[in-house]
Parts: sequence; structure tokens; C-alpha cells
Amino acid sequence: MKKMHIAGLVLIAVAIGLIVTMASDYSQYETFSSANGETKKDFHIVGTLVKDKDQFYDPIKDPNYFSFFLQDKNGDQCKVVFKGTKPQDFDRSEQIVLTGKMEGADFHASHILMKCPSKYKVDELEVTEYKSNT
Amino acid sequence: MDIHFEGEHLLPGQLGQIAVYTAFIFALIAATAFFIASYSKKDKDRIYWNRAGRIAFFIHSAGVLVIIINLYYIIHSHFFEYYYAWSHSSKALPMNYLLSCFWEGQEGSFLLWMFWNAVLGIVLIFTLKEAESRVLSVFAVVQGFLGSMLLGLYVFGYKVGSTPFALLRNEMTNAPIFQRADYLSFIQDGNGLNPLLQNYWMVIHPPILFLGFASTLIPFSFAMSGLMNRQFTSWTKPVMPWALFSCAILGTGIMMGGAWAYESLTFGGYWAWDPVENASLVPWLTLIAGVHTALVFNKTGRSLRTTYIFFIITFVLVLYSTFLTRSGILGDTSVHAFTDLGMSGQLLFYMAGLSIPAIVLLAVYWNKIPSVKKDENVLSREFWIFIGSLVFLLSSLHIAFNTSLPVWNKLFGTNLAVPADAVAFYNKVQIWAAIIIALFAASSLYLKFKQADVKQFYVRMLVLLAIAIPLTAIIAFTGKFDVVSNIILLFAAIFGVIANLYYFIIVLSGKWKLSGAAVAHLGFALTLVGILFSSAKKETISFNSMGIDFGKEFTADAQRSNMLLYKNVPVKMKEYMVTYVGDSVAHPNFYYKVNYEVFDSADGSVKDRFTLYPNAQINPKMGLIANPDTRHYLTRDLYTHVTSVPDKTKADDKKDKEFKSHLMGKGDTVFTTGSYVILESIERVTNSKKVIIQEGDLAVSANLLVKKLDGQSYTTAPLFYIHGDRATLIDDELPEMGLTFRLNKIIPEENKIDLQIAEEEVQPDFIVMTAIVFPYINVLWLGIVITILGFVISLVRIWQKKRSSKTAPLPGL
Repeated sequence: MKKMHIAGLVLIAVAIGLIVTMASDYSQYETFSSANGETKKDFHIVGTLVKDKDQFYDPIKDPNYFSFFLQDKNGDQCKVVFKGTKPQDFDRSEQIVLTGKMEGADFHASHILMKCPSKYKVDELEVTEYKSNT
Repeated sequence: MDIHFEGEHLLPGQLGQIAVYTAFIFALIAATAFFIASYSKKDKDRIYWNRAGRIAFFIHSAGVLVIIINLYYIIHSHFFEYYYAWSHSSKALPMNYLLSCFWEGQEGSFLLWMFWNAVLGIVLIFTLKEAESRVLSVFAVVQGFLGSMLLGLYVFGYKVGSTPFALLRNEMTNAPIFQRADYLSFIQDGNGLNPLLQNYWMVIHPPILFLGFASTLIPFSFAMSGLMNRQFTSWTKPVMPWALFSCAILGTGIMMGGAWAYESLTFGGYWAWDPVENASLVPWLTLIAGVHTALVFNKTGRSLRTTYIFFIITFVLVLYSTFLTRSGILGDTSVHAFTDLGMSGQLLFYMAGLSIPAIVLLAVYWNKIPSVKKDENVLSREFWIFIGSLVFLLSSLHIAFNTSLPVWNKLFGTNLAVPADAVAFYNKVQIWAAIIIALFAASSLYLKFKQADVKQFYVRMLVLLAIAIPLTAIIAFTGKFDVVSNIILLFAAIFGVIANLYYFIIVLSGKWKLSGAAVAHLGFALTLVGILFSSAKKETISFNSMGIDFGKEFTADAQRSNMLLYKNVPVKMKEYMVTYVGDSVAHPNFYYKVNYEVFDSADGSVKDRFTLYPNAQINPKMGLIANPDTRHYLTRDLYTHVTSVPDKTKADDKKDKEFKSHLMGKGDTVFTTGSYVILESIERVTNSKKVIIQEGDLAVSANLLVKKLDGQSYTTAPLFYIHGDRATLIDDELPEMGLTFRLNKIIPEENKIDLQIAEEEVQPDFIVMTAIVFPYINVLWLGIVITILGFVISLVRIWQKKRSSKTAPLPGL
């Protein structure tokens, strides 16, 4: 079974190699304050949309520029710039997961994942005010 | 305070619930009976208990069928007193989507899974001989586990399962409306089906995928039956057709998922390494590895332990993927919106309950499982299949490990995430797995089991390399491939295509029956070609050039893949002249009509012209949901989807219009900002599109000709309408010019009218869209279909062999 042992060793070596290369690729969930200062790596930031601050999206000026303010879990607020269209249903989002990096004082997001209130949420019952004729 | 609720239909729910209990209890009875049968020494006992098991399994299956019929009846009849119908369906849904509602929810998908297990179990009862009771005992245990997911009972305060027959008023006890006996008259409609799922793929994809998942239970049960009764080797031949069937169906299911994502979701591709996609891919990879090692065992007596591991791990991974997608743990990482129904503990319990016995049995019997002590030849087929299966294992571990990051974060308190560009992250590693597998799949066919015909092998390899290398060089050069790993993958894929074609034509002389492996491997190589071209050479042609520079906020590499198109203003995208010409509404969809034209560069004539209708569904509950539209060519696809549209609802509820009066006679002209208006005639009309004119009414229309300064002209006709003693002014609008016309007064003595015109700023009509060209994507679909065809050919071959060995007397007897 010598060859099998060699194959097994190679397998383990490759697996270790994989883990080492992967480890440097992983991104971390951060907050704006912990992400600040680090401009090279990508971060994930979880937060909520600041609804009383201005959003900017004017497709006539530039369809690939959307900015808004996000409040992270520490309560820090930061301007976020996203190079794309304003995601549909953005204003209804409950939680936003951003991926991107800090550039100066702004966070440049390359990816936005939104959690919108699910229409399947158990406690939300929509009752129409309409009474049937029967 | 018992309330007698009005208008409820409780019977189907009660029948269904009885069937839920029946199915659950009889699955357990069947499991026990089959289990006793498989350990009975005496033939009489064995036959007795086996028959008992069969009957229990049939009753169980009938129970499953009754659950399905009742649930479907509830959905179909719109009985919104049931939570499942209320939350997953609505009255407006057409028939075929009612089927989708059925399996949209967790309960429905478990039901679908149980249904396929029951069908497969019955087929096995009628086809298996001696192994029946062992295999079916495992089947029935799994059915018991699945059946308990539907119970909806509280046992010691812990909720076991979630029943599809729960009533709305019991699920939402806090809502005050349920204090009223007539609450149902308030609930006019259900929540409806998620618009993303209102798609024919949602009708066919889940049944196929769940049949695939269900069928992985068969190799698992065979392996378990081998361990349970220490008949370690007898199952590896009968399992083959089932394992191949499972590969083909699960593969089809995964492909359909990709096609769905590509065709109607706006991922911008067919594969995004999304956790939910990965969760179905990983068991497929381990299953394919298992099929190969089982083949090696049947031919050479090697790799049996590995086969056990692969078939067991495949089923455990299917359970694990159910856990991942249904527990809500993927929350932050997946676009698939799955919510936790509080069943994750139960799912974990079952996963442990099925995998721990399997692992323990395997460990206990590890040394008893036959293996060949002698080292295999390095140039034998079995050696390279074995190495290939290890690559499959590594590849699937890599995917599974990274998909499970949220699980690791929860377990170890870490904070890791797959980087922003998940596709690049996975591709970086998986491309090497693909390269190695493609090379092995091509060359191992030229090796033989148990022996090495070295000289012939080398000669053939040299011939193939002599074709593949120059061909790769030409394609890499003309296709402008510049990434090293992509060029190597291109080589591996081309080598795979050529080697498998050569093998099929020259070595097998085109004999279909024997060609299963060659065809499947050819399909795999073609799939790689398709993936490579369509992803590495994917091109976004809607590259925005109109964007205003926002200064340093934009880096040069900013992806500006969205393009703004004003109505009727053509924009050039690569060779296409693209014009947005308007929208149309087919409720609830808005279709945006986008014309594409290609002009001949020499004489300016139109070479190609077509229209795409990307649509958006403006859904009151979920906002705007875009669906792409794609122009399919043989060698490429042009994919278009709308990413933003102006909010037209805002324009409507603006302040009152300001009208200006103009006293006009026939032939008079007045000017507006961008046009002039001529009063062509004033006439009494007897019919109009805008109002029903009855006898005795007076309706006068002012027929106006509006000429824009650029020469375009329009007609418009506001009405002055008297019904009884009431006068009504019926305005006419030209929205594209922002003009509203009103016939305010008729002055018969002067033969003039008071025409009022309101001008407002024209709402610009535009769409923002993305257009992407996917080259050679058809090669990808063709490749997958050929791969699956390869599985089917092997399956048919084994089946035919089995039949002929049954009918013809064995040689030597």
C-alpha cells in the first residue's frame, strides 16, 4: 500500500496548502472604526440604513453612482458609495451587509446584500380594510 | 370563551393531519418490521416480517399521498384559514404556480422529498430480491425522520416538526382579528408567491432536484445494508444503476438551477458560488466519486472502503445542505431568502442520528471490509480513478468548508467571511481541480484495469497531445486568453474533448452501448470549454460613457456596467445600436421594449435587428423585481436586464396643473414652449373613448393639431360634455410633451372656444440597464446535457446486461 500512503501524504499536503492560501483571502466582519485605516483589504460591514440622512441616486447624471449613510453595529455612521444602481426596495431594508473598503472618509462598497422585511414574517398580518358583501 | 368561527373548511386539514400521523407511525412500523426481517435467521420469519414491512410501507406511502392531495386541495381552493395557503399563495396565481406554492414552503419541500422517497422505496420493493428488507429498513427510518418534520406536535415543550395544516388563527394568536367569529371575511387573499419564484423553472426545478436528493438515499441504504449484515461486497453491483440514475437526476436538477439563475434572475450569470448552489453541488461531486470507486471495486476488488465513505458522505451532505439552507444560518451570506422555522435543532439531531451509526459501523468493520493488499500498478486505470476521486473529495471539501463559514463563526466565535468576489475566490482553487479531473477523465480511459499496456498508452497520448497543444495555442491566441490558469484549463478541456472523441470513434468504433464513460467525460470537457469562454470572455457591453465624473470618489477601475437610455435616443454599445422605445404593462409586469440593431459598416444596411423585452414586476410588497431578457445566438447570448427606472408614481401626485386660457376660433393657432397648436375643428360627437355618451347628452370636441418645432405632429381632442344639467370637462393629454388640453367653455355667439393649456416639465422617460454578452454559453449547456446522457448510456448498458444475464443461462451451468 505504499503508493496509497504517498497519495495520502500528497493529499494532506495539498489540503494544508489550500488552507494557508485561503486564510489570507478571507475577509472579516468589521465596524467602520475597526476598518478605518486599513485601505487595502476588503471588509464586510453589517448595519442599518440611516433613513434621515440624504441618499443620492440620479441616473440621469450617472447611473452608476449611489450614495447613502449606514450605521454599523457600534452606532457609527459613515457615508457609503456604491458604484451601481440603487438596489430595488432599498428603503425598506432592515439590515444591510456591505462588502468593500474604506477610501478616505467614505466606505466604497462593491457589493450590497439587503435583508428586507420578509413578507412571510409570522407576526405581520396584513388585513385589508375591505369587507366583503357576503 | 369558545368562538365558533364562520366559513372555515376544517375537514381537509383534519384529514391531512391524520395522514401526517399515519405516515409517520407507519414509517416507524415499516422500519421495525424490515429491520427484524433482515436479522431473521429463519426463512419463515424473514418472509413474514418482510411482508409486514411492505404493508406498513405501502400504508405510509398512501399517507404521504393523502397529505399531498389535501394540501393541494387547500391551496387550490384558496382556503386562507390555513397558514400554508395564506402565506404561500394568492387567488391571482395561475394553476401551474399553485403547484409552485406547494413546494415553496419548508413543509411542502419535505413533503416532496418524502414523496420521491416513497416512490423510490416502492420501486425497490418490487425490484430488489434478497437485499430488500435491509435497504428498505434504512429507507423507512429516513421516512420516519422526514415524517416527523411535519408533525407539528409539542413534546416536552419542544416543537417537533411543523405541520402544513396549521390554521392561520393558531399561528398568529396575537392578532386581535382572530377574536372575531367572522375573521375570514377580512382575509380576502393570501400573501402570494414570491415574484422571483413565479417562473416556470419553479414548477419543474424543485421536483427534479428533490428527486435527485431523494435518490442519494439509495446508494446510502445499499452501503448501510452491506455494513449492517456484514455482506460487505454483495451490494456494489446492484447499486450501480441507481447511483448512475442519481448522478443523472441530481446533475439535471443542478443544471436547471443554473439555467434558472441565468435566465430569469439578475445574478448576471448561471453560477455565483452562492451557498445554496454549493450545497447541492457538493453531494453531487462526492456521488460521482463514489460511482467511480464502486466501478473500480467491481472490476478489481479495490477501493471498497473509499466507496463506502463516498456513498455515506453523499447522503450526509444532502442532510447537511438541508440544514444549511433551512436553518437560517446562512442569513448574511446568501441571496436565497430562507428563514428559520425553528427546526434546525431537529435537523441537526437527524443528521447525527443517521451519520453517527453509519460512521460507527464503518469504523467497527473497517478491517473486515475486503481490500487488496498488493500495490496497484501506477499505469492502471484503477490507480488514476482513485487519485481522481481524491481530487473530487478535496474539491468538495474546499467548497463545503467555505460554504460552512457561518457555521464555523457560530461555533468558534470567529468573524470570517468569503471575500467580496466569491466567484474569484472559489474559481482560484476549483480551476485546478477541474484541470486535473479533465486530464484524468480523458487519459484514464486509455489505461486498462489491472494492467498497464505502456507502449500503446504512450503512443496514443503523444498523438492526442500533438493535436491538442497546437489547437490550444491557436484558440488561446485568437481568443486572447492571457491568464495562465485559464490557458491551462483551455488545454485540459480541449485535450478532454479530443481524447474522448478519439476514444469513442477509434477505440470503441462508435459503439454507443459501451460509450457511457467516454460520452460523460466528453460532456464534462465541453462543459469546461463553455464555462471558460462564457465567464472569462464575458463582456459587459453597456459600458457607461455618459456618466459625469464625480472626481476622486471614482477610481479608474470603477465598474460602470449600467447604462442610461432615454426613450427613443439610440445609444451605441459595441456593434449594437440600442434604443429604448417604450414600455407596456401586462399586469403585474412592465415590459421595457429595447430595440437592437446592427449596421453593416460598409453600406450602412441593417444586418441584424431584434427587440428584447426585459421586464420588471412592480410588486406592492416587494418593490421592483427585474427579469432579464436574452437574445440567443448559436455562439453567444446577449443578456439584458433593467436595473432602474424612473419613479413614475411621484410624477402623478404632483400639485394641481396651471392652465392658461386661450380664446380660439377655428383655424387659430397658439404657441406653447415647444410646439404650436392649431384648432382644426369644433364638432359635436356621439361617441368617445373617454366617456359613454347617452341620448340627450351634449358632447363637443375640440380637434387640435399639435406640431412640435422639429416637425412631428400629434392630434388631441379635449371634450366638453353635458349630461342632464351637469357639465363635465374631459381633458386630453400629450404626456410626451407635458401638455394637457382642456375645453373650458364654448362661446357660441362668437363661434369661439376657451381652450386651456397646461404645461409642465416633461418627465424624462428612461431606463437604466445592463447588457452582457456571454460567448459560447451554448457549449456549456450542451456539455452538461452530454454528461448526463453519458450517465444514462451507462445506466442502460448495465440494465441490459442485467436482463440478458437473467434470461440467458450463465456459461458453465
